[in-house]
Amino acid sequence: MAYIDYYGILGVNKTASQDDIKKAFKKLARKYHPDLNPNDPSAKQKFQEINEANEVLGDPEKRKKYDAYGENWKHADEFEAQQRHQQQGRQSGGYWSSENGGFSGHFSGNEGEFSDFFESLFGSRRGNHRSTTGFKGQDYNAELHLSFRSAATTHKQVLEVNGKKIRITVPAGVNDGQTIKLNGQGGPGINGGPAGDLYITFVIADDPEYKRDGDNLYQTVPVDLYTAILGGEKIINTLNGKVKLKINPETQNGTKVRLKGKGFPVYKKEGQFGDLIITYEIQIPMNLTEKQKDLFRELQKS
Amino acid sequence: METDFIIISEYCEKSHTDPVFLQSLEESGLIEIHRINGKQYLSASQLGELEKYSHLYYDLSINIEGIDAIRHILQRIEDLQHELRQLKRRTLRFETGESFFTED
Repeated sequence: MAYIDYYGILGVNKTASQDDIKKAFKKLARKYHPDLNPNDPSAKQKFQEINEANEVLGDPEKRKKYDAYGENWKHADEFEAQQRHQQQGRQSGGYWSSENGGFSGHFSGNEGEFSDFFESLFGSRRGNHRSTTGFKGQDYNAELHLSFRSAATTHKQVLEVNGKKIRITVPAGVNDGQTIKLNGQGGPGINGGPAGDLYITFVIADDPEYKRDGDNLYQTVPVDLYTAILGGEKIINTLNGKVKLKINPETQNGTKVRLKGKGFPVYKKEGQFGDLIITYEIQIPMNLTEKQKDLFRELQKS
Repeated sequence: METDFIIISEYCEKSHTDPVFLQSLEESGLIEIHRINGKQYLSASQLGELEKYSHLYYDLSINIEGIDAIRHILQRIEDLQHELRQLKRRTLRFETGESFFTED
């Protein structure tokens, strides 16, 4: 756990007034607030740091304590005890009490949670700088990683979000980056308000055999030179079984063939599929014998 | 489809929100207020957006006109992010040796 320079985070010097701190916070918050930076985890992280800095420097009591310990924050307890002893000895009044709490908190991605450094100095508490009070519970965001093949079938998944198990059915055909919303599965409401929602974003892994674009799949199929010239057959794998393809004589490299309905399932349209587009890649024979080369020379002359 | 409604006066009381702020949002077309038998209601589906507007207004001191402008820009960003994801997928196909071709 490292010391955090709250003045540096807000870009103000140690003599800054409360008004300067407020202005600096608002300026940075307008830049990094999660509501203004959708789908940007780095902005969210930055906002939490700014928020925490404001929580400390914007509160005169906290700022006083932070300034007193500075980089010696690890010895806060003994320092305070020493201070108390000295103050009692001088019969001078007034000291602030230690608010040391647990070390349970960290930047977890939830707005309002503070770093371990903050909690070791001020205790585990949520921020109170906000002038608005929430009503609807916090929305949760989660990522669900699926393999290419599992995204092609309707199946059930169990997610654990903040200790709660949620069963969902993933319809075949979900897209990479697609987000679904589960109403009321977020954080509990405040003052009788409704629970927040859970947003699940699907992250679908690439497949070594297919490339996907919407519902269509693209596959490159190698064809030997002789079959490409003379014609023949080729058996290929599709998502739902093997298919025998007829290769026409004199097939050119890069020729594309569209197999209707052999692509990816269409999302929430049972029985409908995209197309599979095959690209033939003609393989030039290698390590030819002299005799084979002579035969090609014959062909060249003919 | 069933819609859950929240009484606006209760919402404002519990969330410490000024009712005038909600009226201003309605006048700018940012939220829709339903009036049934003399009472004002808000559909629960608008709560997420409303609380986002509250953060902008109360926490970041952005006025209603600014919120409206931000809403348009955020929508534009989301559209562009969607387009970018699609283009990345197509680029991946291009980078792995596939060439683009016109759909027949």
